[in-house]
Amino acid sequence: MITRRMLRRSALSWLVLSPLLVLALLPFAVMLSTALKPLSDVTAFPPHWLPSRLEWGNFVDMWNTVDFGTGVANSLFVSLTATLLTILVSVPAGYAMSRLQFRGVAQYRQFLLMTKMLSPILLVLGLFRMAASIHIGDATLVDTRIIVVVIYATFNIAFAVWMLAAYFGTIPIELEEAAWIDGANRLQSVVRIFLPLSLPAIAVTGIVTFVGSWNEFVVALTMLRDPSRLTLPLKIVNLVAGRYTVEWNQVMAATLLATLPVAVVFAALQRYLVQGLTLGAVK
Amino acid sequence: MRLWRWAVLALALCGLAATVPARAETVRVTVSYYSAATGPYFEKMAAAFHAANPGIDVKIEVVNWDSLLQKLRTDISGGVNSDISILGTRSLLDFVRDGLAEPLDGYMSPEFKSRFIGQFLKPSQIDGKTYGLPIAASARAMFYNKTMLTQAGFPDGPKTWDDVVAAAQKIKAAGSAGFGLMAKGTEVDVYYYYALWSYGGDVVGPDGKAAFDSPAGIKALTLYKSLVDQGLTQDGVTNYTRTDLQELFKQGRVGMIISLPFMINQIAKQVPNLDYGIVPVPTGTVQSTYSVTDSIIMFSNSKVKQAAWKFLDFLFTRQPRVEFTTGEGFLPTTLAEATEPYFTQNTRLKVFVDLLPSAHFAPTVTGWEDTAKAVSDAVQSVYLDKATPEAALKQAADRANLALGR
Amino acid sequence: MSLSISAPSGTAGRVRVTLAPWLLILPSLVLALTVIGYPFYEIVRLSVSDVSRFGLVRGYAGLANFRTVFADPIFRDALQRTLTWTVGVVGGTIVASIPVALVLRQDFIGRGLARTLIMLPWSISLAMAAIVWLWAFNADYGMINATLLQFGVLRTSVQWMAWPETAFPVEVLIGIIVSIPFTSTILLGGLSSIPGEVYEAAEIDGAHRLQSFRHITLPLLAPFINIAIVLNVISVFNSFPIIWVMTQGGPDNSTHILVTYLYELSFRLGRPGQAATVSLAMLAIVFAFTFVYLRLRVPEET
Repeated sequence: MITRRMLRRSALSWLVLSPLLVLALLPFAVMLSTALKPLSDVTAFPPHWLPSRLEWGNFVDMWNTVDFGTGVANSLFVSLTATLLTILVSVPAGYAMSRLQFRGVAQYRQFLLMTKMLSPILLVLGLFRMAASIHIGDATLVDTRIIVVVIYATFNIAFAVWMLAAYFGTIPIELEEAAWIDGANRLQSVVRIFLPLSLPAIAVTGIVTFVGSWNEFVVALTMLRDPSRLTLPLKIVNLVAGRYTVEWNQVMAATLLATLPVAVVFAALQRYLVQGLTLGAVK
Repeated sequence: MRLWRWAVLALALCGLAATVPARAETVRVTVSYYSAATGPYFEKMAAAFHAANPGIDVKIEVVNWDSLLQKLRTDISGGVNSDISILGTRSLLDFVRDGLAEPLDGYMSPEFKSRFIGQFLKPSQIDGKTYGLPIAASARAMFYNKTMLTQAGFPDGPKTWDDVVAAAQKIKAAGSAGFGLMAKGTEVDVYYYYALWSYGGDVVGPDGKAAFDSPAGIKALTLYKSLVDQGLTQDGVTNYTRTDLQELFKQGRVGMIISLPFMINQIAKQVPNLDYGIVPVPTGTVQSTYSVTDSIIMFSNSKVKQAAWKFLDFLFTRQPRVEFTTGEGFLPTTLAEATEPYFTQNTRLKVFVDLLPSAHFAPTVTGWEDTAKAVSDAVQSVYLDKATPEAALKQAADRANLALGR
Repeated sequence: MSLSISAPSGTAGRVRVTLAPWLLILPSLVLALTVIGYPFYEIVRLSVSDVSRFGLVRGYAGLANFRTVFADPIFRDALQRTLTWTVGVVGGTIVASIPVALVLRQDFIGRGLARTLIMLPWSISLAMAAIVWLWAFNADYGMINATLLQFGVLRTSVQWMAWPETAFPVEVLIGIIVSIPFTSTILLGGLSSIPGEVYEAAEIDGAHRLQSFRHITLPLLAPFINIAIVLNVISVFNSFPIIWVMTQGGPDNSTHILVTYLYELSFRLGRPGQAATVSLAMLAIVFAFTFVYLRLRVPEET
């Protein structure tokens, strides 16, 4: 029932949040406004929010100029593979940390914390040289997507194991023990009982890793060169950096198209993200 | 008897092997992005070349300018660089010093050498050897808005810096920006050099040390600073890149800027009704301008040098050259191009071409980037009121000399 | 293989149990040690070597690189500015996120929508967000100036990126905006874990809202705030795209922080030896901060 108190509280809440909301939504408004403008509007002075006419053609032009499709394909490949690798490596580790006793668990946790503190950019020079020293046929690992995948996965492990271990801790071991009593061995109980229950946690970890990889910039910038291998953020920054002319309507169309899918996914899943992150934070 | 048959068989096989074509060679080429036309142009050239030389495959890779040097460096350190690459001529010396560039004199016939407009081969000649071919050339000149400048009393454009100041004052009074000055991004130092050279100064002296902190240099920077202080430039010069300045001019919001030949193409395409003229860079005490060449070089570790040279030779024949230069809006570097009606009949381009005899090229020194950054930083600090021209330039000279010495 | 172990019973079972955990964490260890360990070793090696512009190591240089870097005025400025940057962004984020989390915790009309909208900045790649903001702050054609001029807040266009006095605060503001979603999410989760009964009990005891905030909410929220601070400091300290895309550390190196200067040294100025030294300096700072902070704060959690 909507009481007057509720109305007053709602109004107040929205009021308090409004400055932040304006700032949060401003980029989207700017993107939308500019993406639909013809080039003459973009360099018109003074500028207006509303386009003089809706230039949907910008999206098509941009798609061709930027080779957007290739960018999407590369970003998808890199993000999906990195997420898969992260999950494959982190789920067993998370299981071990939450279920099994072993000496060195504290050191392992410390080790993970240390890697969490290292952002790839601190090591980017070394990462680059490492890739350049591994030869594959005619080339090195530089300018390959696989090295980017491996790097993303590695730097996500700490967070993934952390979150997974925390979540796994909330799955009662009694369920597996019941299976043991019924005669299943450990592996069977893990696969049949534990994994299905752990799917939400794996899903949240996967999404965070995926989005992080999709949006990542510096490592990709350092490693990837050939236009056929560039991920989406790189292709878009290339439109702006070091060009003789910058067509902002195309740039904004590109950023809009690159951001919308992720924004939608975020919006749909924000509740789970809150849950997941909190669990990780508490442990 | 059987031995004889084996011998015939062996001989036949040898004969067969001799007629099997040798495996196709691949020449890898790195080109810099000049415009949307660059990639397609080189692909077209690669295809045409391959049609004429079926045994040689050419692979093109397009790279943005600001990551080109980085890419080359890293590829070299990994031993996986291409065979040919475009390079800013100012960066050539570092490559030569480390033995990475192949001297081309052995490949060039006298006929080949004679193709070039005299001074264009010079910048890529180091220690008497030629290491690069001038693939792209431009010079700088002043673009002025005819409407604004006529109102200011200079219908034929300004000739000296005093003219610029006078015109800018009138334009300012009329409510627009007089002289466009850029101080963000690449070529901040170059925009200052226009003035430096016009007062007879130089970037690097004959002793290989920094020379821009000379009286001429200080005078040039003081001139620019006074333009900013008097409000004769657009506001916030450290916010404007070369591209931003071009936009401002195309919008008709600034009276004078110094820019490149491709502005002609841009204006024709975007604002064909703009009434503008082109004159040489204003004179201080001498007339001079800046000419830039980009070189195309061959790497000394290439395994297909002969094939690579053939492609270079092809690129520098008339048709490929004309197509490239006209498509990108550059200046001709070969005599064959210069006779093309496109150039001889284009009065606007002619201004640029006529400037070439008095053009300065960027000095070929080691560590050019450090010098460029030192000067850019100095110039910016003066515009930000953080230092006087004299102090800033002296400090920059010290920084540059550290790099120039190596 | 040895993963299928019977339920622990007897000595044989126990021996095999201790092998399994190590196998399970082995892949993560291998990845981390290679991909993180080797580059780290390379950086240490580079920092004590004489490295050519092309990355070729030309010999041992001892502490020469360190001396050069620590004497470099740009490095020193960048170091100081990094401190300002980190404190500014993290401080601003925490201060802004607490009220946001408090409001979002309450039940009000459209709360789900509000939560979603606040989270949106998180979905944009940092590099792309920087591009959009750069365009918005464009002095001639950007919407910030246009709107502020229209509403009479400004009388003439402001050249935001021309001077560090305007560019750097703008960059800090953007840093705060993009960090709020993550931080308020953590704080929101923390608030959710405080049972309602605690507040009811306080109300019964006569405490009013501000008091219960200070004496109940804040202390219970403290571990979450601490986590938020640590995570934010690490990521903000290393935050590259915003400053790089907007000003590249300029004009005149006046917006450089350590990480952007590191990038410039490595990939623009061709000075790998010095770049490696800066990397090590940054690593040392991050490690020092994390250990000191955790040591100081963690005991308070109980």
